[in-house]
Amino acid sequence: MAGHLISLMIALPFFGAILQALLPPVGGKNSSGSVTRWAALLSSLAASLCGIVLVGSMRQQVPDFQVSETFAWIGSYAISYDVAIDGLNALLVLLISIVFPLLIAAESNRKSGLRGIQALLLVLQASLMGAVCAQDLFLIFFFWTLSSLPIFFMIGIWGGEGREKAAIQTMITSAIGNAFLFAALILIYYSIDPHTFSLRELAGGKLAGKTFQILESEFSVSNVAFAFFGIGLAFRIPIWPIHGWFTQVAREAPPSAFVALGAVTVPVGMYIFVRTTYTLFPETVAQMAHTVAMIGAVNLVMGGICAVAQRGLTMLLAFVCLGEVGALLIGIGSLSSAGVVGSIFQALVLGLGVAGFGLFAGIISDRTGKTVFKDEDGKVAIGGIASQAPMIAVVAGVMIASLLGIPGFGGFVGRSLLMIGSFSVHPVVVLFGGLAFLLATYYLFGMYRTVFFGKAVSEKSSDFMDLTAWEKAYLVPLVVSLVLLGLYPKFLIELVRPTALTLLSTIK
Amino acid sequence: MKDFILLLPEIFLGLTLAGIIAGEIGYYGEKVRLITATALAGLAGAFVQSWAIYRHGDALVWGQDLSVDALSLFFKMFFILLAGLTIVASIFTKEVDSNKRAEFCALVVASTLAMGLAACSADMLLGFLVLQFMNVVSYCLAAYGKRSSLSTEAAMKHLVLGSASSALFLFGLALLFAHTRTLNIYEMHHVLQSNPIPVQTGLVIFILMFSAFCYQFGAFPMHLASPDVLEGSPTVVSSFLSLGSRVAGFAMALRFFVVVFAKPVLEGGATDPSSAQQWTAIGGFQWQQIVALASGATMLVGALLALRQSGAKRLISYLVMAESGFLLMGLLVLDQSGVAALLYSLLIQLFALVGAFSVVGFLLDEIESDRLSDLHAALSRSIPECISLILFLVCLVGLPPFPGFIGKFVLIGSVIHRGWYLLAAAGVITMAISTAAVARLAFSLVRNFKDAGQFQWPRWEPRRVYLMALLLPLLLIGFFAEPLLAWTAHSARFILW
Repeated sequence: MAGHLISLMIALPFFGAILQALLPPVGGKNSSGSVTRWAALLSSLAASLCGIVLVGSMRQQVPDFQVSETFAWIGSYAISYDVAIDGLNALLVLLISIVFPLLIAAESNRKSGLRGIQALLLVLQASLMGAVCAQDLFLIFFFWTLSSLPIFFMIGIWGGEGREKAAIQTMITSAIGNAFLFAALILIYYSIDPHTFSLRELAGGKLAGKTFQILESEFSVSNVAFAFFGIGLAFRIPIWPIHGWFTQVAREAPPSAFVALGAVTVPVGMYIFVRTTYTLFPETVAQMAHTVAMIGAVNLVMGGICAVAQRGLTMLLAFVCLGEVGALLIGIGSLSSAGVVGSIFQALVLGLGVAGFGLFAGIISDRTGKTVFKDEDGKVAIGGIASQAPMIAVVAGVMIASLLGIPGFGGFVGRSLLMIGSFSVHPVVVLFGGLAFLLATYYLFGMYRTVFFGKAVSEKSSDFMDLTAWEKAYLVPLVVSLVLLGLYPKFLIELVRPTALTLLSTIK
Repeated sequence: MKDFILLLPEIFLGLTLAGIIAGEIGYYGEKVRLITATALAGLAGAFVQSWAIYRHGDALVWGQDLSVDALSLFFKMFFILLAGLTIVASIFTKEVDSNKRAEFCALVVASTLAMGLAACSADMLLGFLVLQFMNVVSYCLAAYGKRSSLSTEAAMKHLVLGSASSALFLFGLALLFAHTRTLNIYEMHHVLQSNPIPVQTGLVIFILMFSAFCYQFGAFPMHLASPDVLEGSPTVVSSFLSLGSRVAGFAMALRFFVVVFAKPVLEGGATDPSSAQQWTAIGGFQWQQIVALASGATMLVGALLALRQSGAKRLISYLVMAESGFLLMGLLVLDQSGVAALLYSLLIQLFALVGAFSVVGFLLDEIESDRLSDLHAALSRSIPECISLILFLVCLVGLPPFPGFIGKFVLIGSVIHRGWYLLAAAGVITMAISTAAVARLAFSLVRNFKDAGQFQWPRWEPRRVYLMALLLPLLLIGFFAEPLLAWTAHSARFILW
């Protein structure tokens, strides 16, 4: 029964998306009709409910898969539909369940093309949920590549001035990334006999010592496949220096698309990296952990330095994201239980924080019609919002506090676990990390000061409207969950820890 | 008598063709609809007969000149379905004048008859003749847009290069005949086994014949005219030629190369050669390397050129060329799973290409241009058509979640299985590049979505139904990949060594 809940969680948004095409435009003021609007929201919420029920009913201290559903799909090529939830992906399920209904709610006042964007968000929800729950390499790949399409269309159709370039760049980078992943997939599949894609069967160092030949020289399967996995995912989550497309997206995409990318796709990509590489190539991971942590440190520092120079809210967010990806990589590369658990927890908190940041940035740019808060000569373009719209200021404050890791919010728990876990392994890296966080305090609070406290710039911002009831309804869950995660993280951490320990035990 | 029963589909197609021509000449009433209906009914009848014979079993008929086995029947059904879809598509387009549709039907049915024979011919001279028959008909089809200079140019190029390739084919065949003294491929196989051919001669024969086939596939060294032909012909004809003459080439090449230049590998003391799962090259040289070279070059050249095109039809033509490269992979691995994957990919291409070309034909009718820059905002004018075009193309290039991907996966996998890692890498790169090419096309449809205003193109429900009828099986092919792959594997049987 519980297994069906996972499939339901993946299938419901798909049905919602199909409904968007079929339902008649009835009710409401705009051309799409309120029936489709509610159908989208309800199908997303229903899927989320399944997710929350699943995670809530999980037992602590159990390292194995707690719920799963399996059947053969293409039996002759050992491709199966195999979805399951354990401690490692439970938090990601939670993240997707929380963020997507909010995104759909945030989009539901759009005037034109509402059906389209809702359908795309629903497809994205389903595909990311599938990618998180899948336990078969082929299935992971299937859902993960499917998730690149909705983003492309959302940017291309509803984006800003330079949407064409941004969309095409996104498509090309993700095509390259997917090609690498595909190469890794085939390599793994054919290097093992009997051929299989199942992560459960491939686990436990089955690939150790396997080699293949190209032009008389011999390569180790696990090293090459690890590199392909790493590179393939690096094209889909922003890793310096291949982050150009990501900042393009930040500049051009509609807020909901960027949130879907930065707050959900990025953590999911990190999760896939951990799940596949830790399970498949424990030896290679042990050798390459330092490199992963180094890449993380470079990302963290570069993200921080670039963020200082930003004048736009979403661009700032993009570089915050880039830096945070670095932090997660440091935790993943530490190979210590606190570091890995911290990374997974931080992935959830980061997603919620970025989602909140992206949504309030969208609201601000919607009301003021501006995307930058300082113009080119450093003059303030958006300012003094706090006095007119205190609610937005509070929400933004909570998001920033959580992104910065101030005690009492989710970010603190994740970040401190991550740093504590990594310090014993890479002290220098953590030192750099600390510096980057100081930098983050500077630029995030600098932005907050300008936008919320400073002087109001023009008459237009003097009638700046505070959050409407609808906006409150979709921002409050984010604030509440960030505070709850900061005050009582134990339940979720105890879910993750046993699974992380089991995974790590195969590496050492 | 049994021979006649096994050849019923061909006989039926021949009768239909005669009926169409007689109707065209002798009947002056409302002949357009009647003739279209006659053609469709004839094709449907032939399809049913092929299906019935498919269940019946394998046989060599007419003095071993025609092999009616699962493989040839698979192709026969493929061609009949293609012809039916083409005739229906011709109803929706303005490019084929409705008072000229009778001739169009006659040409399509004639071509189908030739392609069906090409798929089952076990005699090289017969194979050559039907190939020529098919090509002559396709010259006429390519020139069907008489008023258009592009169409005339396409037909001319097709004719010149087609003649050159048939010369190559004949020369190779003459050399082979001089050595083996027979034209039947199964006998050739036995002669070559007992009396091996000198390596140099074998190489020359192989290269000559393979180049001739490459012209049919639109593959690398002989690809020069094929995009021009597909671009210049009326769009319905493009879809028919891009599948018909290419796939007929594959049907013949499969039988010819696997029977003449390879022998079955018998594992575990098996004695029945027709049960072999894989084959090995004979003739003293590894001809798969030549095929691999052509395959890799075809894929990369096709995909890279597709990326640079500014016209939708030409872009799709180059994508078709890249697909030929993928199909060659299925040929060169010389095992049953490779052939099965080839057939599976063909099924996907059937629906994807017919669909894609028919939407492009619709766009051509509406805006009289297929430049990408003229297609802007097409999506907002006609959402179902444009969305289905994008879906058809992503299925064609095998973007991962879509059914085309499973075909590509099995093809690339079977190549890796045999240790051709570089070729597999070329395949993966090609997939990425062709996705980018499709993204460009998709993008120009999506572009300016917001500022298109309220102007809409006329809706015509039958066309949408037709597109749905193509899209639905295409997506189902992905869900039911397992039984379909089993079916194509079953169809990949050759008999009688």
